[in-house]
Amino acid sequence: MADYDRDRRHNNYRGGGGGRKRRYRDDDDYDRRPQRRRYEEPLFVQVRRQLLTIAESAARRVEDDIVGIAKSVADHYEDEELRDTLVNISLDLVLEQPMKIPFVAAVTLATHNLKPELSAEVLKKASNLLQKHIDSGSWREVKLLIRFLGSLQAIFEGDGIFPLLEEFFARAADLQSASSEDLLGLELVKVILFTIPYVMSSPATGFEAQASALLEKTDIIASTPHALVDLVNTFSPDENKEAAGPSVIGLMQSQLQAEAGQGWELKCLPRPWKSVQEESEEQKPFEVVTKIPFPQITVPSAVPNGPRPLFPEVYLSVYAEQEIYTVPPISDITSSIARDALVDTINLLDFNRVATAKYLIDIDCYFTPYTFVKRATPFDRMRDLAGEGQSWKPEDVAVDAVFSQLYQLPTPEHKLVYYHSVLTECCKIAPAAIAPSLGRAIRYLYNHLETMDLELSNRFLDWFAHHLSNFGFTWKWSEWVENLELPAIHPKMAFIHGALDKEIRLSFAQRIKGTLPEPYIPLITEGKEKDTPEFKYLSESKSIPRLASPSEEIRIRSQLTPATVTPYSKEGQELGQLIRKKASDDEIQPVIAAIEEQAQGLGVEDPKVPSTDAFVTAICFVGSKSLSHVLSCIERNKERLLSVGSASHQARGQIITSVMEYWADQPGIAINIIDKLLNYTILSPLSVLEWALNESIAAGTILSKPHIFEMISATVGKVTNRMRQIVAARTQSGLYEPQLSVLDETLSRERVEMQALFKFIEDAIVSVAAGSNDELMERGDGSGDLPEDAIIRQWGRRWLRVFRRKLGVEEAFINDALAGATPVGTEAPALTQGDDGDVQIGDADADADAIADGQ
Amino acid sequence: MSVLEVNTVDRLDRPSAYYAGKNKRRRDDREEREPEPNNKLQGATTLYVGNLYAPTIEWSFYTTEEQIHELFAKCGEIKRLVMGLDRFNKTPCGFCFVEYYTHQDALDCMKYVGGTKLDERIIRADLDPGFEEGRQYGRGKSGGQVRDEYREEYDPGRGGYGRAYDEQRQREEDEYGAGR
Repeated sequence: MADYDRDRRHNNYRGGGGGRKRRYRDDDDYDRRPQRRRYEEPLFVQVRRQLLTIAESAARRVEDDIVGIAKSVADHYEDEELRDTLVNISLDLVLEQPMKIPFVAAVTLATHNLKPELSAEVLKKASNLLQKHIDSGSWREVKLLIRFLGSLQAIFEGDGIFPLLEEFFARAADLQSASSEDLLGLELVKVILFTIPYVMSSPATGFEAQASALLEKTDIIASTPHALVDLVNTFSPDENKEAAGPSVIGLMQSQLQAEAGQGWELKCLPRPWKSVQEESEEQKPFEVVTKIPFPQITVPSAVPNGPRPLFPEVYLSVYAEQEIYTVPPISDITSSIARDALVDTINLLDFNRVATAKYLIDIDCYFTPYTFVKRATPFDRMRDLAGEGQSWKPEDVAVDAVFSQLYQLPTPEHKLVYYHSVLTECCKIAPAAIAPSLGRAIRYLYNHLETMDLELSNRFLDWFAHHLSNFGFTWKWSEWVENLELPAIHPKMAFIHGALDKEIRLSFAQRIKGTLPEPYIPLITEGKEKDTPEFKYLSESKSIPRLASPSEEIRIRSQLTPATVTPYSKEGQELGQLIRKKASDDEIQPVIAAIEEQAQGLGVEDPKVPSTDAFVTAICFVGSKSLSHVLSCIERNKERLLSVGSASHQARGQIITSVMEYWADQPGIAINIIDKLLNYTILSPLSVLEWALNESIAAGTILSKPHIFEMISATVGKVTNRMRQIVAARTQSGLYEPQLSVLDETLSRERVEMQALFKFIEDAIVSVAAGSNDELMERGDGSGDLPEDAIIRQWGRRWLRVFRRKLGVEEAFINDALAGATPVGTEAPALTQGDDGDVQIGDADADADAIADGQ
Repeated sequence: MSVLEVNTVDRLDRPSAYYAGKNKRRRDDREEREPEPNNKLQGATTLYVGNLYAPTIEWSFYTTEEQIHELFAKCGEIKRLVMGLDRFNKTPCGFCFVEYYTHQDALDCMKYVGGTKLDERIIRADLDPGFEEGRQYGRGKSGGQVRDEYREEYDPGRGGYGRAYDEQRQREEDEYGAGR
């Protein structure tokens, strides 16, 4: 009985159940619960589901569903809930699942024929939303709503949507002529271009002239490459002109012009309204229907920039160079139309990667049948099919779109890991179909590592290792075996090393070793398999603790007697024990003093260097058990570390050296510790840059190491993030003097510091890129013609490009934000009523203080 | 990012039924109104992460802090990471708390990392009101997580079958290693 009660309560709060009933069938006779009526789904629930899943099933004719939905709602026009469902879900789909727009539009068209009052409500909501998004500058949403309205062109009087598109163009032209750097105008042109195909594939006829006239106008803007295009290209045109992709709008412009010349065939776009018309002959054909005026939309004379920072976009296809086309080539407008719809779907649905993956896999449901070959068609089979009509491999088209976002510069809309997770889900849903597609994508990216933007080759590395970690670390490493002969600084070798390191970070060395073919085994060194690296002060090794310079090292080495082969080993061990037993700083000090005294005796230039080495190495050793352990060691000895860092430039560098050397075999841990030391302000961002790009540059070879790029990027990222926080504080609304001046000063000061940081990177690397780095020139015969010299110079160029872009992006961000900020000197308005103002000023005060304190 | 208030497909960044369910039971028992459970999760920056490898008598292997850090840092900088420990022998027992600096990072983690693999196990990530001292210890009789005592299926990564299989299944509640 207890069981019974519990079950019942359970059923109550879940609001359903019934499982129990089936188990105790004989209970039915004396069950005192009211007999539940056979559940009938309310019509609006049914229509809601039909609409939400429209076109999703290949087993049903979408045309039937379209007519069915329209009829259900028109027949029950008095049902308010049903009407609202149609209106709301239609527009929700437009804004969240763009691939369904042609089908939702077909429902609206069918509804319009049956009950114009109903389509009027849909249009009213659509135009309200459109106006709202134009006013806020949400250009993707504007694009989707206009696409929807464009698909309904047939029901509008006169020129329908064209006057609105013309107005968009007028704004774009104004913006472009005002500034050659303008990006907003490009965004408006993009809206226009990606509307035209949907208008031309709609049931509306006779608009060829308007479309062509518009295209003629957009040509000059769309076809002129923006100054920033090269900077956001997957491949710098300087490194690889052939692989550098065209701009998205330039490509679309030329594809539309080609379509215009072919009578707007637009064969990939579905025409679900077609059969609707044919099947229901009792309906009036579209042409006869009373047309309605296009909704009133106002485009403000100063169009807003919107919430997302704008950059030119470049078309990337990782399947561009195959011997047979599995994705539409850039000569085919299908490439742009499918990509645009997929990219929006991916970026809109980031809150459910499983749904995103499903829609990607189902891509063939949303385009004209036979646009794609059957799902999971093997690549080799594509070769046989290549002749007959042009059909594409749906998996490749879908995967290509995800990669276009993963490799979006300067940054994609969402965190990179989202795009990782979409690919993972795709693989889970359809492993046999997706895995080979990913394999070919990986090969393309790997083969272009030398010339790819460095930021992107690092994204590739990160994705590759993360992806494999979700699928048992299986990869056909054997196909890259011959690349193991390449020099260590070659981008392909750097990738292999980096990928294995990242795999180990997510797993452990022994496991990864087991996934590799024999020739790779030497890459997993013994050191990588050790959980606790050797503590050099314990060992009998002949290693000399790091000293100020190579010459000094030679001199000191010559003075050492065999008994003192590892100098300071006694003190080093003592420090280890003291740190382990959480000794106070007073107990540590004498040991440090002893090292410095010895060092002085040996003639070391800066005795703080060997003492810091012993201290930091001991912290790393004692803390090697886990991140928490090392953090608590650092925390306990924070004061000493802080004073070391500020006392001596060389000693500060030594902190980094000691960490990097102790964890040399597991660089992931090393850079993680460096990151925490930055947070504790024991290290400054500049000290990390100096260490890597000055002290350790090693003729530029350090630039080939992925973990160094990772460390420098993270360090620079900390500085730019802080800068952005200050900008946010400075530009918040309701800010008045004196806070304005305080924040403005902080901002100016930090901005100078940020610029100095970038200047340092520029100066350090420009000599490597130009081949004029001193160490680089001293290599070999000094001619700079060693085969590796060219590779080093290329690393230099690729680093420069990344950090020059980063500076450009950050400067643009600051300038844009400050353009709209309250000017310094603005006093709070005299308060007449309420105390709202006080509260705001109070907040701003706290903000200003926090920023000024460097928090 | 979608601009809709109600989405056309489910969201993966909603807290699990754990808090809602737990609160319900209490209300039934004591007729006493607790603050709405989801309010505690508003602005939450911490995640409870479950189903990690845990060491056992014959199995010393466990998912390390470094591995967790490597994966979870993909959603944002990590402020604090607290490993769940066996109450008696202070060894990892298969869960942890990951704290970010921002709520958005925690939500993104649910969306992008929860349900994916770490160390070749599918991990679970759930929004949590925040770590408090004491919650890092398992509440099971033998010191580990309660769920490890009751597991019906064999899981070699967490010591085989449940340690003390019990008829009463309270799996949802027991997921959390925390005493409150």
